[in-house]
Amino acid sequence: MNFTSNQEIILRWKDEPAPLLGVLQEFHDRDGYLSEQVLRQIAKTLKIPVADLFGTVTFYHHFSREPGGLEAPRVCNGPICRMHGSDDLLKSLEGASPMPCSGRCDQPIPVLRGRETLVGLPGSDLERKPSLMPPVLPDNMEECVFVDIRDPRRASLEGYLNSGGYDALKIAIELGSEGLIKLVDDSGLAGRGGAGFPTGRKWKAVADASGNPKTVVCNADEGEPGCFKDRCIMDYDPHALVEGMVLAAYATGATRGFIYLRYEYPETEEILASAIREAYEKKFLGQDILGTDFAFDLYLRRGAGAYICGEETSLLNSLEGKHPFPRNRPPYPVTNGYEDLPTVVNNVETLASVPPIVRNGAHWYQDLGIGDQGGTKIISLSGDIVRPGNYEVPLGFSLMELIEDLAGGCALGRSVQAVTMAGLSGGFLAGGDLDVTLDEPSIREKGSFLGAGGIMVFDDTRDMVKVAFQAMEFFAHESCGKCFPCRIGTQRLSERLAGTAGPTDLQQWLDEVIDLGKTMTETSACGLGMAAPLISSSLLKYFPESVSHHVTG
Amino acid sequence: MKKPTLVLDGDQIGFNLGETVYEVAERSGIDIPTLCYDSRLDPFGGCRMCIVEVEGSRNPVASCTTKAMPGMRVKTAGGRLDMHRRVLLEMVVSENRELDVDPLSGYASQELKLLADRYDARSGRFNGKQSGQSFEDDPNPFIKRDYDNCISCYRCVRVCAEQEGDYAITVVNRGFETKISTEFEGLLNDSACTFCGQCIQTCPTGALGDLKALANREVPGETKKTRTICTYCGVGCSIDVLSRGEKVIGVLPAMDGPANKGALCVKGQFAYDFVGHRDRLKTPLIKNGSGQLEPASWEDALNCAAEGLSKAVQEHGRHSLYAIASGRAPNEVAYVMQKFVRAGLGTNYIDNCSRA
Ligand SMILES: Cc1cc2nc3c(=O)[nH]c(=O)nc-3n(C[C@H](O)[C@H](O)[C@H](O)COP(=O)(O)O)c2cc1C
Ligand code: SF4
Ligand code: SF4
Ligand code: SF4
Ligand code: FES
Ligand code: FES
Repeated sequence: MNFTSNQEIILRWKDEPAPLLGVLQEFHDRDGYLSEQVLRQIAKTLKIPVADLFGTVTFYHHFSREPGGLEAPRVCNGPICRMHGSDDLLKSLEGASPMPCSGRCDQPIPVLRGRETLVGLPGSDLERKPSLMPPVLPDNMEECVFVDIRDPRRASLEGYLNSGGYDALKIAIELGSEGLIKLVDDSGLAGRGGAGFPTGRKWKAVADASGNPKTVVCNADEGEPGCFKDRCIMDYDPHALVEGMVLAAYATGATRGFIYLRYEYPETEEILASAIREAYEKKFLGQDILGTDFAFDLYLRRGAGAYICGEETSLLNSLEGKHPFPRNRPPYPVTNGYEDLPTVVNNVETLASVPPIVRNGAHWYQDLGIGDQGGTKIISLSGDIVRPGNYEVPLGFSLMELIEDLAGGCALGRSVQAVTMAGLSGGFLAGGDLDVTLDEPSIREKGSFLGAGGIMVFDDTRDMVKVAFQAMEFFAHESCGKCFPCRIGTQRLSERLAGTAGPTDLQQWLDEVIDLGKTMTETSACGLGMAAPLISSSLLKYFPESVSHHVTG
Repeated sequence: MKKPTLVLDGDQIGFNLGETVYEVAERSGIDIPTLCYDSRLDPFGGCRMCIVEVEGSRNPVASCTTKAMPGMRVKTAGGRLDMHRRVLLEMVVSENRELDVDPLSGYASQELKLLADRYDARSGRFNGKQSGQSFEDDPNPFIKRDYDNCISCYRCVRVCAEQEGDYAITVVNRGFETKISTEFEGLLNDSACTFCGQCIQTCPTGALGDLKALANREVPGETKKTRTICTYCGVGCSIDVLSRGEKVIGVLPAMDGPANKGALCVKGQFAYDFVGHRDRLKTPLIKNGSGQLEPASWEDALNCAAEGLSKAVQEHGRHSLYAIASGRAPNEVAYVMQKFVRAGLGTNYIDNCSRA
């Protein structure tokens, strides 16, 4: 019935770069699910073996294969939303299914319905609400990324240009690509997506790599539970991200770029799409940018519900339409990235930091940090605190000062029992170790890491074994299944933390949990499986009595 | 140029650029354990059994995916490597229903069991939910699909894609819910499967099993393996015929077969029943006066054929004959056949069934 129009849609995508996610999303949005007929037609036209396509589609949890699936509500059951009663909300909504943290921890509980995000607590009405603006900081704290974000005109290109937009690109063109890379390198800017690789060095590696065309990919998958900073940047300052990408392209010689946006941010997709449209109209994208012979095309692609697609090589496979297992490294994306060609993969915050750094200089950025630390980091702070939200703090800032002074601390009469680091990937910090400063050296010394900067706070009423179980369940749910230690290990650790399997003898229980953790940390094929056991090991470290009680009853 | 070298368990060993650490070790006679590895396929890096220590690297690395580098210092066993291997195997054992499967299941079917014994991994630790889902009601006559024993090494999926080019099976879902299935989770019969049996032979657990061979499980006697060539076509795939007494009970592809490197097609893999079939011809047959076929000696049969052919040429001319060489014949036989037709019968009417 739909045959001709289906075929038209597929043919339109066929000649686009990274067509698969685009064409799947278009049909998913149009039909409300992906039918067998449509999948067969896509496979045939894009020349993908149909079994491969089918397997790949089943990898993504948000692709529905039943009619009506798109509109069925998905309720966040991340750690913060569970504390706010998401289990009850889930039960009260017909046909609802749970989804992992969807980046609204500062404004729980998000419910995704079709292309709309609603928020609300059980018993109250669900409402469409925009993301929260970052709280205003005391006058003595200087921001880099957020400095202009509260200006309501900032999301339009006109407003962006009024507050210094694209000045950085003009400066960069004066400096030339080498000068630009040197500036970024001197600023000390390091990846804000989790791994913290120095951005200037990454760009230089791509600039120096042979092979064309080169690509810039913005990692906007923001799948780490407890992280919602990239959403805020994209919602209120999308042009900063676009300019950051144009700068990355100019520095490296890339001619095409992608923003890989997580499925759970449909409103953000519209904001980005219109920002990209505006940038094309005003010739900040496309051919002859700013009258030079520099050309850069930018495409927007939306993920479909898979945390692992935030891992850069899994993301690249996903863009290429392949099964999104992470790749074996080396080689790294800087030489063998998108379509096996040199590719920059950078986080949203990293890219959005670049324009202000270029405008104000490397030293300015360095000096924003405290002590030996240079620059700033956005912390997504949520959980049992009075003012959850995104806080851009100097690196080296004290964790407890952030929690107590900026975010108002826990509710009256409560105190901080533990926090998570790097969303969930850094495990817990508690007790005396809460005394850290917000920078990698300080936090790594405690066996954790700052990563993407998601911090969830749990007060003294929370059952930490239960929180640990929910965290491990997330990793098990998101394990891609490529490597044995993670595929089986996350499952076994979840079962042990839930108490549904495993020894009842404490020593045997500990031996199993410790052995699983060690083997996962040291042999997993990517960061997910390596980081997941930090949850169990930090639980054992800080809460041995609770663990013993959990095992022996 | 001098060959680059690395140090492997204390010995300096030369290697070719592009070789993996695993390949260098294998060549040097070091037995690094593997589960997701098949030398014919792109290294995958899933099972992590092949981990080795590389000096300067914090964590062990997978030797199957790590390229050998000049000056590398590698340790392939001992210390935490053995600990991790045992834990990995204990994990794998914990998700499977059974380790001890009949060797008739397939060529690689004993790999997991042998490693579990080598690393003493039948400890019963890490119990919990089992993965996989058997597909016992798939009605195909060749392939047992008992995914309760599947360890998600994806060798089957990769061999089907990379060796066979059929892309009949795929990885469905993810994480612990991962399973092997076909398009839209249907039957093999309704998929792109050609029943080449490649997936069975690379499966390290017997999750995929050779149903025909397994049906002969009860045939008495020692299993004998005979290296021969598949008789079906001119490719010349090497096979190992399995027999007990007088009965052929199965066929294994020869992984070292120069023409096939372990590949077979459905005929070579499964269509061996003709060997012991009661309709099989055991002597030549000649039609008697009343049109009945009667057993004859080779000499009588060849004489009879020669007479018939000569008569046809005499009575109807040389172009009354047309010969088709069998696609099952190797090059040499096809050559002799055209020689006979051209020189012996005097006609150029010769073709091959693969072309005709
Ligand atoms: C399991 C996993 C999930 C990840 N998710 C994200 C993500 O959602 N966003 C992101 O920017 N980086 C994520 N990363 C880090 C990326 O692999 C990569 O390091 C980063 O995008 C590089 O950009 P940066 O250098 O600007 O930080 C993830 C890594 C792992 C191992
Ligand atoms: S560690 Fe987990 S997520 Fe990463 S490759 Fe292995 S199975 Fe996949
Ligand atoms: S029998 Fe051959 S074609 Fe069929 S699934 Fe196995 S490898 Fe693929
Ligand atoms: S069926 Fe066998 S070869 Fe295929 S993934 Fe499972 S264990 Fe590996
Ligand atoms: S939005 Fe629900 S936990 Fe983050
Ligand atoms: S053999 Fe190397 S990871 Fe499986």
